[in-house]
Amino acid sequence: MKKFGKSILLFTLIMIPIYILLLIIWEIALPPLYKKNLNYIQGSAGFAFSRFQEVKQKQNIDVLFLGSSHTYRGFDTRIFAEEGITSFNLGSSSQSPIQTKILLNRYLDKLNPKVVVYEVYPQTFSMDGIEAGLDLISNDYIDFELMKMGINLKNIKVLNTLTFTTLKNTFVDYSAYKEVQSKYGDTYIPGGFAERKMGFYQPKKFEKQDWELKESQFQKFDGIIHLLRARNIKVLLVLAPITKNWYTCHTNTTTFEERIKKSGNYYNFNHSELFNDSLHFYDKDHLNQNGVTLFNREIIRILNSQNFLNKKR
Amino acid sequence: MLFNSLHFAIFFPIVFILYWFVAKRSYQWQNILLLVASYYFYSCWDWRFLFLLIFSTLLDYLTGLKMSNAQNHKMKKFWFWLSISINLGFLGVFKYFNFFSESFAELLSTFGLQVNPWTLSVILPVGISFYTFHGLSYVIDIYYDKIKAEKNFIDYSVFVSFFPLLVAGPIERATHLLPQIQKARKFDYSRAVDGLRQVLWGLFKKVVIADQCAQYTNTIFSEYETLSGSTLLIGAIFFTFQIYGDFSGYSDMALGTARLLGIELLKNFSFPYFSRDIAEFWRRWHISLSTWFRDYLYIPLGGSRGGKWMQVRNTFIIFLVSGFWHGANWTFIVWGALNAIYFLPLLLTNNNRSNLDVVAQGRFFPSLKEFFMVLSTFLLTVLAWIFFRAESLTQAVNYLAGVFTKSLFTLPNFKGKGQSFVTMLLIIFFLLIEWQGRETNYGLEKTGWKWARLARWSFYSFIVFLIGMYMHTEETPFIYFQF
Repeated sequence: MKKFGKSILLFTLIMIPIYILLLIIWEIALPPLYKKNLNYIQGSAGFAFSRFQEVKQKQNIDVLFLGSSHTYRGFDTRIFAEEGITSFNLGSSSQSPIQTKILLNRYLDKLNPKVVVYEVYPQTFSMDGIEAGLDLISNDYIDFELMKMGINLKNIKVLNTLTFTTLKNTFVDYSAYKEVQSKYGDTYIPGGFAERKMGFYQPKKFEKQDWELKESQFQKFDGIIHLLRARNIKVLLVLAPITKNWYTCHTNTTTFEERIKKSGNYYNFNHSELFNDSLHFYDKDHLNQNGVTLFNREIIRILNSQNFLNKKR
Repeated sequence: MLFNSLHFAIFFPIVFILYWFVAKRSYQWQNILLLVASYYFYSCWDWRFLFLLIFSTLLDYLTGLKMSNAQNHKMKKFWFWLSISINLGFLGVFKYFNFFSESFAELLSTFGLQVNPWTLSVILPVGISFYTFHGLSYVIDIYYDKIKAEKNFIDYSVFVSFFPLLVAGPIERATHLLPQIQKARKFDYSRAVDGLRQVLWGLFKKVVIADQCAQYTNTIFSEYETLSGSTLLIGAIFFTFQIYGDFSGYSDMALGTARLLGIELLKNFSFPYFSRDIAEFWRRWHISLSTWFRDYLYIPLGGSRGGKWMQVRNTFIIFLVSGFWHGANWTFIVWGALNAIYFLPLLLTNNNRSNLDVVAQGRFFPSLKEFFMVLSTFLLTVLAWIFFRAESLTQAVNYLAGVFTKSLFTLPNFKGKGQSFVTMLLIIFFLLIEWQGRETNYGLEKTGWKWARLARWSFYSFIVFLIGMYMHTEETPFIYFQF
């Protein structure tokens, strides 16, 4: 038995470096087709890299935006600046509460916002957090908390990517990467917004379906709210506009809302008459620039009417 | 709890450590541990069916004792048939009731009588076909005085519910497994290492080969009406590797896990896709089931005694029953019948036992004749698997008709075609390992046997890497769990 234990230990010691070496060879030498469970994409769609680099230079802002692609494609910091509001958009692709919590732990102290506008999209509460986790691993620094997230996600793709990125970042300065500021029809706007080339949406029908909401995401969400309240930061919870057919095909949005409403000021923009599927969207759930302008003005109106920005903490 | 789950990766080391360190004082303690672990393993699927498993165990244990103690043959026969009826009754209710009810209603509807079939809303208890067959073989062996009834209930329960084989076999025999349970097991380094190696190879077959193939199989079978003949053929070939990787992968993991606990299970697969005829294929595919049917159905029916037509009749019966064992659907029965038809020419020409050795024994390359024999047997099984995979007979027939069209000679085209290239490369790697290891118990058993340890371990590490790089990230249940 002793020999068996020793052999297992020895095999593990040999296997780990070989595994890592093969991971490096696969990443460097092979095209994406051959890398099913390795997803290292620095400078991925959505400009996460540029955003995470820029946020490190920011401090003491009025408004911090958090959430999924609806956030970084939905809150144009230039419109807020026109009203004298300093803001930063820290949204990222499919950002679920798991990743939001990590980002807040990293940047909240320095950004020190008066208000957090938190875009809550039921789909991000239905996700396991893998897509957003991979985005974060590939485009920001690795620390113990991120490693913990990678392990907790219990997904081999995340673990492979985390292993590769950790190793790469040990030898190469990840921040030296230069991201192209205009790609896939998107342009990165300093402040975190991603501006999509003007486009319009042709409405489609969808089958009735449920959001498969995950309790673990709600628990993380509660933790986020607790963290912000503990710091006396105002929170505006927003369900950003999505197209009508996409919104109404989901039959349990009310269940989601009931849970979210308990956590503070909640605004659902999907009952607003302001938005038109053909005129204000470029796909089923993303606003085009016309929609963004309308939406952001509404947010500013709410912030002012609720006296969120002037009120002393 | 699947073998390829994190849950099992935590469960098994705990059992292993307790088994060899805490319970090692006596094999009885080890058996109690195995029983508790097996019941926990089974209850992870659905704890309610644990009662069914315990009842089935108790039934066969008690009827076994009653048969042994019976004063006369009449009483022995009574207990025997009681056990057989209740065992098959449970299988009938849980697995076949809806099938018979719906088929009867369909039959009536052909005569113009519309009847709403009465169906039961019950889910199939996982592994019921396997543990029922364990119990049946035990009872039949006692009835025919091949074995004596087991008096120790714990030992008998471990025989029925030993977790590595509980949900998808191999279907064990009391004559093989019980003696191992009734004596002390000694830890053996070489066997334990071999067990780990077999688990590794089984895992590769399941999570890399089977699960990768499943993606394309599912896409092609669900859209078969719109796809070309060549695509449908590719879909059937993917399924051929999926079912083999899935089931033999499970068996490898079961055998390897049991070996780590010092127990040898029956071999269930022996490189069936390298068979030169269909008879050889059936000697190499799901061996524990084929031999079960041979011993408990084919031979009692008269086997090959009583002339050629008796042999043909008995062969058809076991293939049809074997098909029906797999599932309550006409597709499985036709699959069984088709295999019987494949078998028929070999039987009639007395060639059903002409390929008893391993193809190209002692050589790496097969002769041209052997190559074409293997290829043609493989293609025959591919066509038969279409019935196995299809959801209905109509789908199977239409699928098959779709294969044999002019578009068979066009380039295949389906969703994920580009990615399937990687799967094909993995299948080639898999076939190479299996081919060079075809004279051993499983593909990886002697691979790199003569290499330096560092080189051999590096190769195993490469397989671990392939698993990590290409495994399916969502847990997918084994196909044979539904049987």
